[in-house]
Order: sequence, then structure tokens, then C-alpha cells
Amino acid sequence: MAYADHDDHHPTGLKRWLFSTNHKDIGTLYIVLAMVSAIIGGLMSWYIRLELAQPGLQFIEDTQFYNVLVTAHGFLMVFFVVMPAMIGGFGNWFVPLMIGAPDMAFPRMNNISFWLLAAGLVLMVVATQVDGGPGTGWTVYPPLSSADYQPGMAVDFGILALHLAGASSILGAINLIVTIFNMRAPGMTIHRMPLFVWSILITSFLLLLALPVLAGALTMLLTDRNFGTAFFQPEMGGDPVLWQHLFWFFGHPEVYIIILPAFGVISQVVSTFSGKPVFGYLGMAYAMSAIGVVGFFVWAHHMYTVGLSVDTRAYFTAATLVIAVPTGIKIFSWLATMWGGSIRFEVPMMYAIAFIFLFVVGGVTGVTLANSSADLPLHDTYYVVAHFHYVMGLAAILGMFAGFYYWVGKMTGRQYPNGLAKAQFWFFVVGVNVLFFPQHFLGLAGMPRRIPDYPDAYAGWNMVSSVGALITAIGTVLFFVVLWKTFKSGEKVADNPWGEGATTLEWTVPSPAPFHTHEELPDVSEKAPAE
Amino acid sequence: MTDQRQKNISQKNRRMVTALVLLVGGMGGLAYASVPLYQLFCQITGYGGTPKIAADTPDVKPTVAASSEKEHLIKVRFDANTSKKLPWEFKVKQTEVTVKLGEENLAFYEVTNLSDKPITGRATYNVTPYKAGPYFSKIACFCFDEQTVQPGETVTMPVQYSVDPEMLEDANMQEVKTITLSYTFFRVKDPENGEKESEKISRLKTGEATTEKIKG
Repeated sequence: MAYADHDDHHPTGLKRWLFSTNHKDIGTLYIVLAMVSAIIGGLMSWYIRLELAQPGLQFIEDTQFYNVLVTAHGFLMVFFVVMPAMIGGFGNWFVPLMIGAPDMAFPRMNNISFWLLAAGLVLMVVATQVDGGPGTGWTVYPPLSSADYQPGMAVDFGILALHLAGASSILGAINLIVTIFNMRAPGMTIHRMPLFVWSILITSFLLLLALPVLAGALTMLLTDRNFGTAFFQPEMGGDPVLWQHLFWFFGHPEVYIIILPAFGVISQVVSTFSGKPVFGYLGMAYAMSAIGVVGFFVWAHHMYTVGLSVDTRAYFTAATLVIAVPTGIKIFSWLATMWGGSIRFEVPMMYAIAFIFLFVVGGVTGVTLANSSADLPLHDTYYVVAHFHYVMGLAAILGMFAGFYYWVGKMTGRQYPNGLAKAQFWFFVVGVNVLFFPQHFLGLAGMPRRIPDYPDAYAGWNMVSSVGALITAIGTVLFFVVLWKTFKSGEKVADNPWGEGATTLEWTVPSPAPFHTHEELPDVSEKAPAE
Repeated sequence: MTDQRQKNISQKNRRMVTALVLLVGGMGGLAYASVPLYQLFCQITGYGGTPKIAADTPDVKPTVAASSEKEHLIKVRFDANTSKKLPWEFKVKQTEVTVKLGEENLAFYEVTNLSDKPITGRATYNVTPYKAGPYFSKIACFCFDEQTVQPGETVTMPVQYSVDPEMLEDANMQEVKTITLSYTFFRVKDPENGEKESEKISRLKTGEATTEKIKG
């Protein structure tokens, strides 16, 4: 096996990063890529909010360009920010550390996973620069995405970018699954794995089951656009609604792919800073599994308006509402973990509590939207935009911040500046709530999404929302200041800076984690379960 | 780590990767299999207002038909749409008719080619409300084939249909007094643009092959 071959091998310079087979270095690469994409995707969203601050077209005259911004923002945030940071970044860094493995099962495949994603990011950026860019929305519905309405190569570049990102994620998921199943340290049974590892395992299975369907649908779209097939063209016997079925069969599991790793991070953080094991460990693990399974049977709740029959809509409404049960189990278990614990309000814990709050807000609007009769008037309004930004956008970002502040000491060996980090927290969390909460009101009042102009009646809350975007921007800039200060002048941290509550294996190795860890497999047979 | 343990792990790893790759391939295959499956599903269930294609008038249950012949009338409306890229005038000859349930009826559409070239088009169709799809049977229809119209020519296109009296027994159909049959004519792409390729997967092929009644 490759990992045993280079005991002392520690490449340096460009080679260390380009040809890396080290799970920590690749994890770092993923996190850096996610940060770069987050800056690009974030700038796009602030430009969108700038245009939407007032009615009329002030900054974006070209409405196709507005569509391109919306599309690229969605693609970048989903495929190039949250997934790389959570699965590629934290997953690579901490799955081997937490299960007591020296590295991933396939270190070289790990390398190609990352570089495929980097190539995908380049193609995505190229897509926005050729032939006016893809203005299809991240859902790429035909006929809008067909050659008739989006001629030129932009959509094709976008499709290929997603193909590369998908291939990258599939390879990464296979690697993580094999690592988790075959490389656990002695005594680290499946039912003793930390919940973060559980969340990555379930996410990886969702990726394997969902991404090939997206790849198939994208290939059909690509051949429809370029090679004369007609999967989605009604004039030749195809059906555009088929795309929606295939896309959402991937798309709904995809939103769980985005949020499940955050669940894992939050479980670790809440347990650590409450000084208690997670309440109902097995319930938490199997609640995530249940969310993953049921997530494959609810896709058409995204398509209530395509003309589904009453019975079909009744089924999808009921199945969707069922998801509230395992999700509720998770929320209540987090609260029960905190209950009676000696809670320390360190920055990761503050982010975890904010995560729970935001996720519940998004969950409640989700239960509203799950009802097909309520969804019909709300479909494609800002209510939906507010819902999914709360439940998967912000919740995932807060989970990423929680994970970052929790683990940055382990990754860099230096602690973040506490005061500045708290300021960053308040700016960001207040900002995103001011930004997205008013969008519920706009949606209920009927403001449609993906349109750069709106009637004057919507002006008030749009201005509030844009001010929120400005506050969020300050919080984001502060984050990079925190990052810089951490590297520049952060305090050196001990192996386990969090003390008693941090019981998982990554806190048993030095900080920063050395290039090679767990070369002597830790034996956890005698220890209490790691949760 | 001992060599033996390493060997075991790498063997286990390889088996597992094979299984996972097969899973990925299977899901990808399923995405493509969904195309014919979805078509079959729509035709069998009348999903999304897909009308039935029937070789003959559906069997009328004598009890239903005989019990209240007067009441069992339904209004059928006709709708014609044309793709922007098709320079045809496509219109109905009658906007609506009232027909008896279970009876075979004939309706006519009219197409005029406004261009100076022969053009081939094909019509897609459905009925609204969608839930009426399973009860609306087409026996013969211009939409089953591609239609070529010469420059300036006007062609009358018939459709033969019937409405199944079984709809009376469907609780969800009670308030339906009108069914709208809608067609949209699209231009069939020129052969050099790969039309022949695409024909293989067209829904029409499935429609033509289905000469016998699908519904039991």
C-alpha cells in the first residue's frame, strides 16, 4: 500500500501540492479551493443584491448577464464551495484522524479527485466568459437550456464542468467509503465511530447513488444540444419534464449531501462544548441514514407545478413531511446534549447554536413548502429562495465556520484570535438573517425569483435585504482577517485545546497534526465509545 | 503494520471498489433506462394527460351505458398551437363538440403551409385536465405520424377518439364536464441535422408500435 511506502517521505514546494497523496495536504487544497470559489460566488451574490436594492435596472442592464450571475452563484456555492470544504476538506482531514487510519485507502485517487475538481472550476469560470455565459439557473431546465434558447458554448462548458466535478465527487466518495469500512483502528467499530465520520459515510453513499443520475441527465442534455438527440425536445418525441425528474432525483439527495456533513460537525462541536457525549448517539446516526434513504423518494416536491396528479402530489407531500421526523430527532438530540451540560460559549459552539437556530427556521418553511397546495402559489418566489438559503446555504456555511474554528488549531497549530472571531460571528450571523429573513415576506407577497427588476411595492424589504448583504460582507471580510491573524500571530495550541469534552482521536495527535499520523494504529477497544 | 494485514486490506479494498463502481454504473444506466420506462409509465397510466392509444373503441360496460344515456354527455374542446419555428397555420375546424361517452367521434384540424418549401412537422398532444388522460382514447390521429405539407397546400387532418364511460366511476372525475384536447405542431428537424438518429428514441415509435389496446 502506498501509505506504508513513504514513511519519511515529505515532498516540499510545488511538488508537495501538485502530486500530493497526503490526506491532510489534499484536505487543505480542497479548503483553499472552497475559499477561492466562495469569494467568486460571494462577489456574484453581492452584485445581485446591489442590483436588487432598488427597483429598476441600475447596475445590470443585460438581463442575460443577471441570469448568468444567478446560475454561476448557485453552481459555485453548491459544487465548488460547500461540497469541497465539507467532504473534500474536513472529510479528508479528519475522517482518517478520527477513525485512527494513517491515510485514505487510495491516496493517489485522492489526488486525482482534487485536480478533477480544480479543472471543473476552471471550466465553470470559462463557461461564464464564452458566448454570454449560461443563463439557465443551477437547475438547467430545458427548453431554456436547449440549443434554441442558449446557443453558443456556455452551457456546454457548464455541463462539462459539472461532469468533472461529479467525477471528482464520485471518486472521492468511493475513497471515503472504502477508508471508513476497511481502515478503522482496532476497536473502532461502526457503532463507535464519531458522528462526523457517520455523516461523511452517509453523504458518500448519497453521492454514489445521486451523481450518476445527474451525469446521465447532463449527457442527454449535451447530446440534445449538439448531436441531434431529443430526450428533452417535445417536437421529436422527448419530454422536458423528464429532465426535471432526473435532475431532482439527483437534486434532492444533493441538498442532503450538502447539509449532512454539517450535521456531523455540529454533533462534534455541541458534544465537545457541552462536556457530554452526544445524546442518543445511535438515534443520531440512524436519523442521518433515514434522511439519506427517504431523500431519494421525495424529489417531485420540487415539481408540484408541472401538472402532477392529485394523488401523486398527496404522496410527495406526505413523504416529504416524513423527513421532518428524523430531522426533528437530530434537533432534539442536540438540545438534549446541551441540556444540563457545562456549556462553554467558544466560537465554534456559538456557530453550532446559530446553525441549529437557522436550520430550524429553514426547516419550518420547508414543512410549509412541502404541502403541494401551499407550494403552488409560493413556487419560484422569494419564499423558496429564503427557505433554501436558510436550510442549506446558511446552515452549511455556519457548519463550515463551526468546523473551521473547531479544527483550525489542529490544522495549523495556531489558535484563532478570540475577540475578532466573535466579532466575525456576530457580523455574519446578524448579516445573513437581515439578508434572508425579509425574503420570506417578499415571497409571500409574490415576488418571483431570478428576475432583476420588481414592482415598487417590493422596494422596502429588498433594501433591508441588501443592507443585510452588506453586513454579511463585513463578516466575510472579517473572516479572512481572522484567517490571516491566525497564521500571523495565533497562539500555539496544545494537542487538545478544548479539554475534557473533546474525546475523538484527532485530539490525541500533536497540533498541528504532523505529516504522518496514526502510523501505529491506536487501539480504542478499551475506551468508551468515541461519540 | 504487517505485510499480511496490508495484503488483506488491499484485497478487501479492491472488492469494495468493484462493488461501488458497479453501483455507480448501475445508477448511470438507470438514468438512461428512465427514458423508455417513463414513456411506458405515462402511456399506461395516462400520466400528465397522455391520452390512450386504442385500436378500437373501448368496451362499454352495458350497465353503465344503458342506465342513463342522456346524462352521459361530455364537452370536448379542441386546441391548436404551432411552434414559432414552423411557418404553418394550424387551426381547429370545430372549437368544441358535445359527445356521448363511449362513442367513436371524429374531429378535424386544418394545416396550411405558409412557406415556399415542403415542410415536415409533428404534433405533440395531451388532454386537460390531466386526470382525464386515462379516459381519453385515440383510435386514429394525424399526430401518430410525421406530416409533410407542400408549399401553400392546405390539408385537413382528422383525429378519431372516444371518451371512456368508466370515468363516471372515478371519484376524482366527477366535476369534469369538459375535456380539452390540445396539439402543438413542431417542425421536424432536417435530416442533415441528425433527425434520423433522433427518430430511434422518439415517443412516436412507441406509439406506432402500440397498435393493440394498452388498457386491459
